[in-house]
Amino acid sequence: MIIRHQEKVCSPQRLREGFEALGYICSDAIATAMYLACQLQKPILVEGPPGVGKTELAKKTAEYLAAPLIRLQCYEGLDEVKALYEWKYGKQLLYTQVLKDQLGDVLRGARGLEESVKRLHQFGDIFYSQAFLEARPLLQTLQAENGAILLVDEIDKADQEFEAFLLELLSDYQVSIPEIGTIKAKSVPIVLLTSNNTRELGDALKRRCLHLYIPFPEPALEDRIIAAQVPQIDRQLREQLIHFVDQLRGMALKKAPAISETIDWARALLLLNVESLDRPWVQGTLNLLLKYQEDIEVVEPELKRLLGP
Amino acid sequence: MQQVLGEFIAALRQAGVAVSPVETLDALHAMQMVGVADRARLKLALGLVLAKSRQHKNLYGQLFEQYFRALGSGEDNAGGDRPEQLPAADAAGGDIAAIASPLGQLLLRDDAAGLSLAIADAARREGVRDIQVFTQKSRYSYAVLQRLGMDGLNRELNQLRGQTPGVAQQHVLALLQRRRQRLIDRVRDHVEQQYLLFAEQQGQRLQDDALQQIKLTHIDIQHYRRMTRLVQKAAKLLASQHGRRRKQARRGLLDVRKTIAANAAFDGVQFHTRWKSVRIDRPKLVAICDVSGSVSRVARFLLLFLYSLQDVLPRVRSFVFTSVLTEVTDCFRSSDVQAAVAEVLRQWGNMSTDYGRALTDLQAQLLGDIDRKTTVMMLGDARNNHGDGNVAVWQQVYRRSRRVIWLNPESRASWDSGDSIISQYAPYCSQLEPCNSLRDLTRILSRLLKYS
Repeated sequence: MIIRHQEKVCSPQRLREGFEALGYICSDAIATAMYLACQLQKPILVEGPPGVGKTELAKKTAEYLAAPLIRLQCYEGLDEVKALYEWKYGKQLLYTQVLKDQLGDVLRGARGLEESVKRLHQFGDIFYSQAFLEARPLLQTLQAENGAILLVDEIDKADQEFEAFLLELLSDYQVSIPEIGTIKAKSVPIVLLTSNNTRELGDALKRRCLHLYIPFPEPALEDRIIAAQVPQIDRQLREQLIHFVDQLRGMALKKAPAISETIDWARALLLLNVESLDRPWVQGTLNLLLKYQEDIEVVEPELKRLLGP
Repeated sequence: MQQVLGEFIAALRQAGVAVSPVETLDALHAMQMVGVADRARLKLALGLVLAKSRQHKNLYGQLFEQYFRALGSGEDNAGGDRPEQLPAADAAGGDIAAIASPLGQLLLRDDAAGLSLAIADAARREGVRDIQVFTQKSRYSYAVLQRLGMDGLNRELNQLRGQTPGVAQQHVLALLQRRRQRLIDRVRDHVEQQYLLFAEQQGQRLQDDALQQIKLTHIDIQHYRRMTRLVQKAAKLLASQHGRRRKQARRGLLDVRKTIAANAAFDGVQFHTRWKSVRIDRPKLVAICDVSGSVSRVARFLLLFLYSLQDVLPRVRSFVFTSVLTEVTDCFRSSDVQAAVAEVLRQWGNMSTDYGRALTDLQAQLLGDIDRKTTVMMLGDARNNHGDGNVAVWQQVYRRSRRVIWLNPESRASWDSGDSIISQYAPYCSQLEPCNSLRDLTRILSRLLKYS
């Protein structure tokens, strides 16, 4: 991709600072991955538990590089018609209806089927040209003049066939459309794929990507994230809160709270004017942090121990 | 640097991280981009390119530390013994001249960096990387020392010892001997590290391969732990192979109803076609295991295998019998599989076998639940102590179920010998196979997942 501001991606350190200025506090691993993706022009496959900021990374990259973000949400049954291109059938139908008379003029006087077809051929494939092509996310990305950020979200939800279909795009930044031919990217996009690991992805896909695993953040990093996202919150409460969440992640829960949940919780505590974590408050707001009743039942009896002296 | 990276990747492959040539190239580019000065960042960058799952990332992390520590060991030691200088060089001047070999010179100068280079070089020439088993360690250490010129050094030291001893000479001699000993230790360490990097995994893999084929009935207690790990690994592989595809298109069969619905928006003009497809159902499986005598060992692994397949085989009911048939499904759900198997064997194992009784129980407890979607898997040697086999029930099971798979731990040669009545059941089995190794189990279950 043509990065208008090359100096923005000249080192991982620089990227990291840039993200921080946008309020996205990231680890060294993330900055290094973005740096390599920009420099080597390779897609990144981002894995990690839900809510650690995989999608956010793509959004912030787009914001940072001032490039359009094109998003493709994957689901079971997604196929190239929805991901790549489609013919505008309605428009084709409408035009043929409207142009019926003119077609009549063109064909007037033609003798026999053969001559009619020959006349029609003079007009080329009007109805199968770019004007009737509806570009879907993947094609939009390839057509973007100044490059774009393509986010293929939750690739693990798509079928295996779709994964195979993506391979050409990921390695050569081009796709083949039978009626038109091979379309190459006008400028190489930055591609991010995210996965929640509901199924194992194919080796062929992994081979073409850099692989970034974003784990739950270290307490120190999370502290900075909360400080950036919820700046009004008191320092002491913030530390208490992060310590508490960190302990929760160590427990055997169905779904451990992620960063996004910690942020929600911090915002809620701020709204409620809580000054320090105590049991009634935690009990009352625990459902913001834990999304399963079983988990809440596991945690509640332990609250006294978790909140400590 | 390329060679270092190449060797590191070889070590990764040894450890079971599959690195393709493309990824090797990417790693080289990545290394050029981030440089080698910042070690932490280099580790991150190579990790992005080389290790592409969590498990591989862990392995990669360990190996990176191990490998680059092995490389850097020379520099680490360099600082340690600096104060130990030669006594006034001129005092011993005459004798030092006797130490002329390159190795001796290196030791005299106590040139740590030079020594590690020499060791690495000698090790490369001797092909230490090709080390296979741990018994070769001392042989390779010896060969490396020889390559370094240990013979020459020993000769020179002997000469020095033969000369008239003075205080200074004694000192030099003692010092050199100490450094020689340290050199030997370092060579051993080097070979050891190379072994750990390049061969340890391989030795284990050899053992794993052997265990795959060994008869389950012959496995020692001491191998159980390793077997359990292997079973889980095989199960994970099967699950990932078969967990992905849920739908299979039946090529060429138009789904008329769906096609009309899909094209209603275009005034009934058929733009989109919809094809018929079949959903691949997760098989409903009933596993019945004979846990008497020798069969129990195989039963243990079969059950372990089935329960490691929870992801792709969520609907397994399991029964065990010697004479009385008992359902153990919940027993496995609630407790650890290992413990559950042991408990079942303790409680129900080692009674005299009675297939007739077991099948009567089956008729009462289970027959009603067996339907067209159920696959029945029986594990047993059909040795019935000359009792009545109650074949009629088995025939009913065969009629009602989708498939009946009978696994016999005995080899074909011993079927129907003595009190075995396997041939009476044989007509009512869709598949009857000997099964006595992990490899057999994997093959049979793989087929079950593929075609049911």
